[in-house]
Amino acid sequence: MSDYETYSEWPKPLVPSFKASFIIDKDIEGYHLSIFNKSENDFMPFGPLSFQDNENDIDKLQEFIKRQSNCKISTRKIIDYLRVVDNKSMVQFSLNKDLLANYILFFQVVNGAPKAVLNSLMVALTTIAISLTIGGMGGYAFARYFFKGKSILKLSVLFVRMFPAVSLAIPMVIILARMGLYDQPLGLSLVYSVGQISLSIWITASVFMSIPVSLEEAAMIFGTSKVGAFWHVTLPLALPGLAACAMYSFIGSWNEVISAVVLTQFNPTFPVVVYKALVGSQGQINLITAGSAAQALPAIIFTLIIRKYIIQMWGGVKV
Amino acid sequence: MATLELVDLAKRFSKKVWGVKKMDLEVNEKEFIVLLGPSGCGKTTTMRMIAGLEEVTRGTIQLDGKDITDIPPRDRGISMVFQNYAIWPHMTVFENIAFSLKLKRMPGNEIKQRVQETADMVKIGDLLKRLPGQLSGGQQQRVALARALAVKPKLFLMDEPLSNLDAKLRVIMRTELKAIHQQTEATSIFVTHDQSEAMSMADRIVIMKDGEIVQIGSPDDVYFRSANMFVAGFIGTPPANFFITQCTINNSKISLKYSDFTLELSSEEFEELKEYNNKNLVLAVRPEDFLLVPKDKALFTNKILVVEPQGSHQVVAFNVNDTIVKMIVPAETKVKPGDIIGLNFNLKRLHFFNSETENRIPLKSEFLNDAN
Repeated sequence: MSDYETYSEWPKPLVPSFKASFIIDKDIEGYHLSIFNKSENDFMPFGPLSFQDNENDIDKLQEFIKRQSNCKISTRKIIDYLRVVDNKSMVQFSLNKDLLANYILFFQVVNGAPKAVLNSLMVALTTIAISLTIGGMGGYAFARYFFKGKSILKLSVLFVRMFPAVSLAIPMVIILARMGLYDQPLGLSLVYSVGQISLSIWITASVFMSIPVSLEEAAMIFGTSKVGAFWHVTLPLALPGLAACAMYSFIGSWNEVISAVVLTQFNPTFPVVVYKALVGSQGQINLITAGSAAQALPAIIFTLIIRKYIIQMWGGVKV
Repeated sequence: MATLELVDLAKRFSKKVWGVKKMDLEVNEKEFIVLLGPSGCGKTTTMRMIAGLEEVTRGTIQLDGKDITDIPPRDRGISMVFQNYAIWPHMTVFENIAFSLKLKRMPGNEIKQRVQETADMVKIGDLLKRLPGQLSGGQQQRVALARALAVKPKLFLMDEPLSNLDAKLRVIMRTELKAIHQQTEATSIFVTHDQSEAMSMADRIVIMKDGEIVQIGSPDDVYFRSANMFVAGFIGTPPANFFITQCTINNSKISLKYSDFTLELSSEEFEELKEYNNKNLVLAVRPEDFLLVPKDKALFTNKILVVEPQGSHQVVAFNVNDTIVKMIVPAETKVKPGDIIGLNFNLKRLHFFNSETENRIPLKSEFLNDAN
């Protein structure tokens, strides 16, 4: 959706259009540009009241068309159309919209958006690393060993997920500030890891449980140590399940806003930036949606890549 | 090729639960030993201790005179076939078989040759590039077998390897396993709960119950000279029939009184039974040791309850004193449910057990049976 559609059309179209239609005509004051307005179902004046056939005016017009309607047109083409108008008194043409214009604009306009994406990625990857290492080890222990209070312990690792982030916000700020990690991606990923570790433990435990112990035992008989058996046999078999688990951690930290709002100031993560842009620019719905889509995209792509393995998370490893 | 010795081996799982209470066993070179017993008797635990997958609570395991009780499984020079095959699903058949050879850093062409050799031996030579998921159960079983054979182990362990196969394949694999053993001559230990499997494959059978050895002996030993009532009732299809009889001795006759019959035996032939005068004595009769005789010469008569044709023979069941007794008659004998038949025993093949200790009462005449 272009700026023009955002401000001048109501109701907003449900399905976005990929094209815009224009008319240029001429009277004594000069040339006039109109654009098709779907809510009026008619061509409406667009841009300057009138413009002349000189380089300055045409450059301005080209820029205006690009900004307001997201359509690109060369000055050459505009001059060609003006010649046609000279002959026939009017010309109608339509242009393709530049689909990425809003996204590019969003990253240009919104303060610190590119850096926020980097921050977000860093937070997400660190969270995956922490939660998968610790959670994976925990899950393996829960899957393979018997010890007293196992089921209670397994249940209790979920307790950390019981508290809403808001209720812990102030202590979290104080503790992270004392550790010197306030407003840093690492601090944020530590906070996310707490919740993700417990989820990872549950997911990886069921992944490991679905791999028969006898496969490891066979490896140990045929020449590996216990660690080697894990490395040669269990890990390759568990990998898809672990990847799916990583996806959960990724999405969990990539989407999180509340803790991120509280725990960052100058190094916000991307969801925070989108959130702030939403609050700060109430009319710019085209930019906000572009930002939100950019926010959702990695999660969607990641999920699509890994969807085959999601089923394995709950113990469907094929043996 | 190796000797294995288990000395006072025991395994305790928790305070009160013993997997294996006491196990003393010597396995000779090239021998095929079968551990046999009902589920929960500790036979698999014993095997897992030999393999090193289970820690030993007490006792030692010696392979070729060397104490291997506490060394890790990979250094024991053993290999094992698992009940669920345990072949690695992410490796091809070739990689599965070559796994241990690669870890031993054997040169590549040697590995190839060895893998092909063993794969051919178990008839999967043309499946080497497949993944286990693309194989049938029987083929997976063969892969597990090839993997175990490829290392040329001192000791070859098999944990109920045939129990996941269908009945027909099981019998085929049984024969092939025995042939492979004769070819490789590896000392083997085989765990099963299927007594016919044990009888057909073993050099010696070790019968276990509740974590202890009940009897060690050749298939003939355990069948014809069962050490106690448990063995007699476990071995054989159908197993031996038991009659708890009252023993009385007068003159030269020993008479065993049961509700339906009184069996008279000469005290010369069965002089070992003399000390059971006026005591209970358990008489055991194998199904094939019943004789069908005309009613006037019969020890007792009975009405047939069920006839189960087996092709080569028929199993006839009848009711004696409210217990089902099963006997085997030749296939050509015409019998049908409801028939009244006259029965006698083959006196040379009777087994006697002490009714209190349940142990066998050995007879002199048993040595004569060997000649038959």
